Amino acid sequence: MSDYSQKQNFDPRILIIDDEKRVRDGCTKVLTAEGYSVFSAQNGQEGIKMIEASHYDIVLLDLMMPGLSGFDVLGHVKSIHPETVLIVISGYATLEHSIKAMKKGAFDFIPKPFSPDQLRVTVSKAIDFTYALQDIATEKSRMRMLINHLTDGVLTTDTEKNVVLANPAFLSMLDCGSISAIGKSVSQLTGNKKLHDLIDACLSIPDGEFAELTEEIDDLNEKKKVEMVIGAKALPFRDRTGRNIGTITMLRDITAANRINREKSDFVSMVSHEIRNPLGAVMAQLKILSDELLGEINARQKETIQRASLRLNALAELTTDLLDLAKIESGLLVMEKEQVDMKALLDDLVSFHRPGAEEKNISLKLETASGLDPVLSNKVNMEEVFSNLITNAIKYSREGTRITLTAKKEKNYLLISVADEGFGMSREDQDRVFERFFRIKDAKRRMITGTGLGLSIVKNIIESHNGMIRLESEPDKGSTFHVYLPIHD
Amino acid sequence: MSNDKLILVVDDDPDLVESVSIKLESENFKVQKAYDGVEAWEKIKAEKPDLVILDVMMPRKNGYELCDELKADDNYKDITVVLLTAVGDAVTSTSYTHMDGKTTMADDFVPKPIDLDNLMEIVKENLDVS
Repeated sequence: MSDYSQKQNFDPRILIIDDEKRVRDGCTKVLTAEGYSVFSAQNGQEGIKMIEASHYDIVLLDLMMPGLSGFDVLGHVKSIHPETVLIVISGYATLEHSIKAMKKGAFDFIPKPFSPDQLRVTVSKAIDFTYALQDIATEKSRMRMLINHLTDGVLTTDTEKNVVLANPAFLSMLDCGSISAIGKSVSQLTGNKKLHDLIDACLSIPDGEFAELTEEIDDLNEKKKVEMVIGAKALPFRDRTGRNIGTITMLRDITAANRINREKSDFVSMVSHEIRNPLGAVMAQLKILSDELLGEINARQKETIQRASLRLNALAELTTDLLDLAKIESGLLVMEKEQVDMKALLDDLVSFHRPGAEEKNISLKLETASGLDPVLSNKVNMEEVFSNLITNAIKYSREGTRITLTAKKEKNYLLISVADEGFGMSREDQDRVFERFFRIKDAKRRMITGTGLGLSIVKNIIESHNGMIRLESEPDKGSTFHVYLPIHD
Repeated sequence: MSNDKLILVVDDDPDLVESVSIKLESENFKVQKAYDGVEAWEKIKAEKPDLVILDVMMPRKNGYELCDELKADDNYKDITVVLLTAVGDAVTSTSYTHMDGKTTMADDFVPKPIDLDNLMEIVKENLDVS
């Protein structure tokens, strides 16, 4: 519990307020021997003066003194230094007194006369309590400092949607300036519907069930006329028994990231379109020439034109992939998700790609158990992923090998694996194979065309579905891509 | 030996129109050319074609609009419309999921960049000529 480094630097200061010199001296002797810094005062007035002048961790206080009574001193100490631990000493060790002193905030009670051991035990208990208090206070101020200096906005509420904490970043996102938000209802701070809905949804999550809700909010602050996009994330906050006691909402300003992403995508789309159309026109012209529609050409001329067409074709493919990538990265790809029957989808794909595989005498088959859970996903995206993996497997396999797709449930995921017996790849290449434009260039693969974007697109799609892709591969043995897609209930 | 079928080729890229026309003529089709949707309408009214090869992205009137207008007109709705669609237009399209053409009234579609042999097959299939 307690912070060890602090304990080492902590030198507890103890003040004894008692009108009996014998008691003062006795306590001072015992406690000094324990290594504490001990001070004393002979009446209430003197004690208060000392407490006002400096801070004491523990005050030993006689209840019955001439002049100012111990109870008056107690109340006064609590009002100036609420964290000071008070131990009451009294010859009138009645239950009534002890209850009264405890009610006023005393930590413990020592009846007179007491033995040095009794004193040591009580003081040591109070010291431990002080440590704990200090730890909590330090931790609290550390957390507060941290939260107050975050650039992300943080809002915590109770179950009634009243603000428990709102950091400066949050208030500034709402343009609430320096108003004191604590204790106010969230609706007094903002009328933003999305934010309210998010917190409400969070509060309605049943106890014991965990969820993290996210939302993109672009109308948080309508007074500001500038564009602001906020990524909001909300979690229910639970006590030790798992009961809902409120919510924590974090807001991140993603305006700049969004804008950069959009501009990049616009640029990529523009370039791709502007390149694709002329490419298409030139490809058609070359086709007219090589088909000899404009007159005969010799064999070498024809071959040259055909090779030029192939190069243009590769360029056209590259622009297609670039467009896909731009769409996926900017989130423009319509991500309408439905429950997709993966067995049916894979069946279709396997039939679609089988002729291509058979041209290389490769057997392509799907092995799955029936009754697989459907996967909440975008169907076109899923087709793209597995079509890509199958096409790659065919491309990078020798004649007469096998490609096997398997699908099975693994914990909360549907695991779909595409295994080939092809060229495989080294450890270093495996690390880079999902990078954009990365292509393995060796003797076996030199003549195989591609853009180096396929697997990058695949990975992007899978991750946007909260899935994972893993690769197992060994040179000359083959590669297996494992795709994990979360199954939602 | 002309097969007496008239095809209108519409695209704002003159080089592409030229290449497609050469290919069609080599297969004995009669060809008309237009370079935007408005001009295409004029050509259609002057001489009704059997089939229109129609680009989507064009100035003045785009291919979707022209296609809708043709299909809504009793005099012209029997003209076969083959749309030239680019990946990235409106709807997601992958190598085997051609959704673009299907969202319109077009009879068929060919993805861009055009494979002339594929285009020719689709034209012949739709006009029922061998």
